[in-house]
Amino acid sequence: MNARASLALGSVAAALVAAAVWGEGVVTRQAIPDRVTVIYWEKWTGAEADGMRAVINDFNASQSRIFVKYLSISGVDSKTALATAGGDPPDVAGIWLDQVCQFADAKALTDLSEMARESGLSRDYYITNYWDPLFYKGKLWALPSTPASVALHVREDLVPPEYASPETFPKTLEGMDALVDKISKRNEDGSLKMAGFLPSDPGWWNWSWGFYFGGKLVDGDRLTVNSPENVRAYEWVASYTKRFGTKEVQNFQSGFGNFASPQDPFMDGKVATEINGVWKGNYIHVFKPGLKWFAVPFPYVADHPELAGMSDLSQDILVIPRGAKHAKEAFEFIRYVQRQDVMEKLCLSHGKNSPLAKVSEHFFNTHPNKFIRLFDKLARSPTAFSPPQIGILPRIQSEMNVAFQEINTGQKTPKQALDDAEARLTEQWQIYKSQVLEK
Amino acid sequence: MAGLLFASPWILGFGVFLLYPLIASLLYSFTNFSILRPPSWIGLSNYQEMAHDEVFYTTLKNTLLYVVGAVPLGTVVAIGLAMLLNSKVRGMAFYRTIFFLPTLVPMVVLGTLFLWIFNGDYGLLNAAFHKVGITAPNWLGDPAWAKWTLVLISVWGCGQAMVIYLAGLQNVPVSLYEAADLDGAKTWAKTRHVTLPMLSPVILFNVIMGIIGSLQIFAVPYVMFPDGAPARSTYFFSSYLFDNAFKNQRMGYASALGWVMFLITLGLTILAMRISERHVHYEGG
Amino acid sequence: MAKALPGRPNKVAKTALTHLVLVLLSVAFVTPLLWMLSTAVKPITETMTSPPRWIPSHVLWSNFPDAVKFNSKELGYIPFLVYARNSLIVTVLSVGGALISNSLVAYSFARLKWPGKDLFFGATLATMMIPFPVLMVPTFALFKWLGWVGTFRPLWVPMFFGSAFSIFLLRQFFRTIPMELSEAAKIDGCSELRIFIDVILPLSKPALAVVALFTFMGAWNDFLGPLIYLVDQTSFTLSLGLQAYQTQHGGTPWNLLMAASCLTIAPVVVVFFLAQRFFIQGIATSGLKG
Repeated sequence: MNARASLALGSVAAALVAAAVWGEGVVTRQAIPDRVTVIYWEKWTGAEADGMRAVINDFNASQSRIFVKYLSISGVDSKTALATAGGDPPDVAGIWLDQVCQFADAKALTDLSEMARESGLSRDYYITNYWDPLFYKGKLWALPSTPASVALHVREDLVPPEYASPETFPKTLEGMDALVDKISKRNEDGSLKMAGFLPSDPGWWNWSWGFYFGGKLVDGDRLTVNSPENVRAYEWVASYTKRFGTKEVQNFQSGFGNFASPQDPFMDGKVATEINGVWKGNYIHVFKPGLKWFAVPFPYVADHPELAGMSDLSQDILVIPRGAKHAKEAFEFIRYVQRQDVMEKLCLSHGKNSPLAKVSEHFFNTHPNKFIRLFDKLARSPTAFSPPQIGILPRIQSEMNVAFQEINTGQKTPKQALDDAEARLTEQWQIYKSQVLEK
Repeated sequence: MAGLLFASPWILGFGVFLLYPLIASLLYSFTNFSILRPPSWIGLSNYQEMAHDEVFYTTLKNTLLYVVGAVPLGTVVAIGLAMLLNSKVRGMAFYRTIFFLPTLVPMVVLGTLFLWIFNGDYGLLNAAFHKVGITAPNWLGDPAWAKWTLVLISVWGCGQAMVIYLAGLQNVPVSLYEAADLDGAKTWAKTRHVTLPMLSPVILFNVIMGIIGSLQIFAVPYVMFPDGAPARSTYFFSSYLFDNAFKNQRMGYASALGWVMFLITLGLTILAMRISERHVHYEGG
Repeated sequence: MAKALPGRPNKVAKTALTHLVLVLLSVAFVTPLLWMLSTAVKPITETMTSPPRWIPSHVLWSNFPDAVKFNSKELGYIPFLVYARNSLIVTVLSVGGALISNSLVAYSFARLKWPGKDLFFGATLATMMIPFPVLMVPTFALFKWLGWVGTFRPLWVPMFFGSAFSIFLLRQFFRTIPMELSEAAKIDGCSELRIFIDVILPLSKPALAVVALFTFMGAWNDFLGPLIYLVDQTSFTLSLGLQAYQTQHGGTPWNLLMAASCLTIAPVVVVFFLAQRFFIQGIATSGLKG
């Protein structure tokens, strides 16, 4: 072999070895010696991640036994499930409340009941609407990191003055629909210019419209996706595409800017009202300060006044996967987050409300959302609802999304779409019960 | 023997990364495997479930429609471009690069770029239509049109096949063309009787690779259309498989879907080769 | 001075027509990429205008360093350079592995005799029909069992074991090298390995370039592999990381995303432009038509 060839081959080999070694260095977990390292996988990036990182830094500085390491993981739910299966899960995982039953059924979580009790956490420490959904089949599976509630956001400058305040805005859905008819505007060519309301904006709760009409998705062991109340709810959804025109709505929507930018449809004046979560106030504060808006509970249907004060409650939750190496230390960190001052600091940084029963005046006064008290009140409302506790909830939500899109694009009538979803989901539920639950 | 030694990496690779997973996948398809627990045998249940799974049929239909759209169109465009480039015009290297560039673009970039271009309100495409006075559909939001945007993107990326056709064209003996010229043949006749037959083995190869590749489409729809929106019209077989494996934690069912995909690929490939037997001309003696 | 022979008027028209068609098609093909470049240098407010504008009011070259910044206000924690480094690691290892393993294996198919060779080559071709999704679950389970999920290893280690397409390509090419060269070297007492390295490889540069380029593109642009196997965001490759730009909770800054996309494509474009003649020659002489 001549010298040049050997040199070439040698350098190629060296480059490969160097790359391999470099690659190994990138993904090795770095542990701090003489501290227990708690690995925490969380979905948040950007400013929300910064909020949690600040809390973690405080925790790490406050004691010298445990070091929490924060990792931003996209698809944190499926990655956590896979890591748990492989016996190498993170110690703390930040998933969504919607998944807790699926994970619990799959036996992927550590039961927190005992540890919570020992550390003084109980139902009266929390807003019960947030505490109850964390209990499933008699055990506690998670604790909240940040909760949320939703309300109707209204542009003061886009509704007539007689309705432009929380007290005078229509309280019933029928009243809101009438207002929408009055104030929506079109361009000369017939395309939409401003929509009073659009059920598909922002489109994050397509699965839960039925609740506002008294419908449920699950009743005991049965699925009730196509119950009369749900059909009525989605007929109301369909009335909006009828009102504005299917194609007009689609075109209009495709031009919506991203929600965290001044081109967000609500901030940009493309919609006059929008159902959205408590964090919206923060985004408005950042991207369009000075915007004149207010929030009201989502209107109730006139024939169900007892449903007044409904709100879709969601939570980001912290769980300890089964088989986590440092479960005790992980719980210590989670417990730290539940402290009132820590929780308020975290929720303030996210612009969300607090899940705790007691809230300090300081929290309310310094909160970026001027209507935080309303969101707090809605979270405590007896008519507020959380996602149904059923293991196939993610599947239900995705089927409901499909049904919503079918209705919104005029492909199926609400009854058809819901009947189809009910049929598919009932079958999936049977399979789930026989394959997952009966083990 | 030296031969075996040289071939050993592949023998190992073949066994570990191809044969083993293929057989394991078949076995998994008869189990309920949620990855959080060891697999448990359930016989043909997964296949029975698949037989009346509406979503399975939807994704199958979408995928086959996509193949039927993307492969013929892509082949025609690629051959056409190759023939144009083969005509010894100046600046061939420049044109060649332009047509090949799209294949260099990562899937994610493709997805986001075209999300942009096909946007119903702000997109470049609809703006162009608007100027000419045509009201174009909302490509991304209309279930009737959404999957055809993917066909268009696929055709835009036909540069790789084009390059292979170009090489094939350059291997066609000039003497054949000269003979055709002497017979007074025009361009189309020359194409039909000289170019295409000489190119036919390459066409077969590319069409088969095209079918195999299109059946597996995953990345661009994943980026552009979350969950196959709107209304599952862009939900493809691979996407459903992926969701079952990694989102619904149903790896047994996902394996069953995988084997069905394999059998369909096999079937279509054999079909293509059968059809080709009469039309493909191999340069023999 | 000889008078230029009047060319057949058809020929001139044909060339002009060809040029015209080529120009039109080039414009069609390159427009999306130009649009990407145009968006990349716009301020965010001008990205969503109706009708779309091509030339921004002022060209924001600063979008490029902004897109790459480690921790910016608009993007938060999106480490473009980290992603680029990771892509580089995986790609270098993949290309290296592919060149080494595929050339060795193709050599054995093309130039050596061993039992079951032809049958095995047929099986090799047949494997090109196997769609990746059917292998996905057991392969994942295998890497899980090895403890390799969350590392780069599932992405590059298999490249050291060969891949059907590259083996096919190189085998076709090796067969075009006259046997006399090998025989002459054998008479001189060279081992197969010597023949391989000293005789065959130097003659195979175009075909090797093709394998290198295809592997490079495949690894650089691979999305599904990193999606399944990479866990920690700091280990993401560019293809996966770019998606993080898009799905980020803080909203999508389109101009920065397009700027980052331009930067991602740039290396591949440069490599291709420099190597294209080599590359085309490689495909042609590998006799893919066979």
